[in-house]
Amino acid sequence: MKLWDKFLFTDLIQGLLTTFRQQNPKDVVTEQYPAQRPAIAERYRGAPRLNVDAETNETLCIGCNLCALACPENLIVVGTVRNAETKKKELTTFTYDTSRCMFCGLCEDACPVDALELTQDFELASYTREGAVWDRQTLEEGPKPTKYDF
Amino acid sequence: MAEATFLDSNELVINMGPQHPSTHGVLRVILKLDGEKVMGTDCVIGYLHRGVEKIGENRTYTQFAPYVDRMDYIAAVSNGLGYCLAVEKLLNAEAPPRAQVTRVILTELNRIASHLIWLGTHALDIGAITPLFYTLREREEILNIFEEYCGARLTTHAFRIGGLQYNLYDKFTEDVTSFCDRFSPRVDEYEALLTNNRIWVSRLRDVGVLSAADCKQYGVTGPVLRAAGVKWDIRKALPYSGYENYDFEVPVGTNADTYDRYLVRMEEMRQSVRIIRQAVANIPDGPILGKVPKVLKPPVGEVYVSIEAPKGELGYYIVSDGSTQPYRLRVRPPSFINLQALDKMVRGNLIADCVAIIGTIDIVLGEVDR
Amino acid sequence: MDENQKPPSAPAEDRPAAKEAAPPAPPVSADASAAETAPKPAPKPAPKPAAKAPAVMEATPWEGEIPAAAREAFGEGILRAATYREQDFFETGPETLVPLLTLLRDAFDYDYLVEETAVDYPKDEKRFELVYIVYSFSGNHRIRLKTRVAENEEIASAVPVYAAANWMEREIYDMFGVRFRGHPDLRRILMPDEWQGHPLRKDYGIIQQDQRWVRENLGIESGQ
Repeated sequence: MKLWDKFLFTDLIQGLLTTFRQQNPKDVVTEQYPAQRPAIAERYRGAPRLNVDAETNETLCIGCNLCALACPENLIVVGTVRNAETKKKELTTFTYDTSRCMFCGLCEDACPVDALELTQDFELASYTREGAVWDRQTLEEGPKPTKYDF
Repeated sequence: MAEATFLDSNELVINMGPQHPSTHGVLRVILKLDGEKVMGTDCVIGYLHRGVEKIGENRTYTQFAPYVDRMDYIAAVSNGLGYCLAVEKLLNAEAPPRAQVTRVILTELNRIASHLIWLGTHALDIGAITPLFYTLREREEILNIFEEYCGARLTTHAFRIGGLQYNLYDKFTEDVTSFCDRFSPRVDEYEALLTNNRIWVSRLRDVGVLSAADCKQYGVTGPVLRAAGVKWDIRKALPYSGYENYDFEVPVGTNADTYDRYLVRMEEMRQSVRIIRQAVANIPDGPILGKVPKVLKPPVGEVYVSIEAPKGELGYYIVSDGSTQPYRLRVRPPSFINLQALDKMVRGNLIADCVAIIGTIDIVLGEVDR
Repeated sequence: MDENQKPPSAPAEDRPAAKEAAPPAPPVSADASAAETAPKPAPKPAPKPAAKAPAVMEATPWEGEIPAAAREAFGEGILRAATYREQDFFETGPETLVPLLTLLRDAFDYDYLVEETAVDYPKDEKRFELVYIVYSFSGNHRIRLKTRVAENEEIASAVPVYAAANWMEREIYDMFGVRFRGHPDLRRILMPDEWQGHPLRKDYGIIQQDQRWVRENLGIESGQ
């Protein structure tokens, strides 16, 4: 460092100028969650959902069990019964343990009929461990986080 | 430090960590001091041990891919790339060109993100608080690109064995280019804050010197090795994913001290931007997933494949017995090996420099402990 | 996410895969490797393609200056020099390994120990396979060295040759229980010091843990 730089504090002034250039309130990037909702990407891997047919309200799941086999954490349990008339498997229960889920998306990739999907919901907190284990109803309706006013 | 008793009253033994803000996680360093001078260290690690290698032996090749993101969670994309390349080598498969270019872009973005976290926290350790906010702001933009691309920000699981799962989203090129345009001047801003700053310089210069010979002896790789003047980068030495097609420089230092490591990493960020610009300009069309079977059963054999992760050489050694699960999966973690040289670097320095030296190695405890 | 190239029907895709990997892969690997390491005239010809039962690694012999020099120096100590997937490796006797590392470092400039690890084959008499990987900056080449040791057999430490081996050997001791002769500080590194058992051994279950340690140190019945 040159002598005059040392006495004129040019290095420190240079740094301070940089800091002051960032003071414009327009440049603020902090997001005021939860008052302000964050922008979630379309492909976001959040809460799992079991899709139903929009018109008939019947589940799209064919009970093939591929998601359960694909899951690295073995957290999906699919319950099916075979319909005596149509000889097809029908879904009875579906449990998804979100407390062990790491949202890797492998179940979604494995699903041949796009019934299981990871959605943009990200508020999954629960007061109990049991609350983190989702049954078929929760999976079809989606999580219902408490709404607060600000 | 084999001798366990320190009865000499001139010597003081103190614990740094595991709950210490400057150890970047749960690292415990037992320091043996003579006054302010460090006479020896002993690292106690393993607080974050999750048995990743054991998990790997009990999952199929596809199922294990998300777990590697959780080792070096700052650079999850790099971990995923290394794992995918290793399994592809075992299968004798290759990702299609479009997938390879995408992988390069995302990995280099991740290298920038990792270096940004390093810069922010390292500066914070030294006492410069401001850079942290700026670096996290820029990293946020990278994470947003990751989120748009694959749906996750930190533990991305972005790549699949044989290529990619997700095709590029519509505005990907636009987003990445505009990030590069905005990011280049910001590196200059960080430099304006730090490079000539008298406190920064006097805290870093000639601290934690590790010569090139010592680096090789201790197996230290990455920016620490390059700061010692060894021009060695796996992207150049043993190119993978088409890195031989990009024009970039490998920055090296001369003094092998903490300050040079800072300069090397700053220059690496600029070079990463350069690679990303070249890659984004030429994303080929075509399939994103190569010809790999749905159920992966690699032939009996073993491979070692390594990549240049932001922290150094990240290697995967996989032994296959022909089944769907790896017989043995070993990760060569750069942080773990580099941390080993801490004792050599700290010995003889002042205790206050210990924080600077832990910061300069750039460790992630998730990777040290696995 | 429908634009992604998702194979239309997953179950149907499984068939060709299964066909490709012909042997239905019983847990034979241990036997296979045993056959490889059994003492025999050094360069083994490439395995017969018709070999059905225990699949072995299809490695080709590795010839060149380095294997020749190693054979000249150690003779019978070098069991095999081969190449698999463009990666060269040696199989040696346990007592040859550290001298071979020294030779590679001093005569051929392999000055960087990339990796040292172990693989457990519990069915074999010499159950642990130690794997060393060295790299030469000047030659830009990696070599893998492998050797077998039995459960209670000690092997010379590589720390005098490469300081980097220190923590890696501690990790092998921690995870497999292999003891290194001449190691400066052979303690556990990732697991707690009092832990019983070696987690990466094949006979150690994935959720198994040292219950006594958990009870004494954490004050709970089980960590799971």
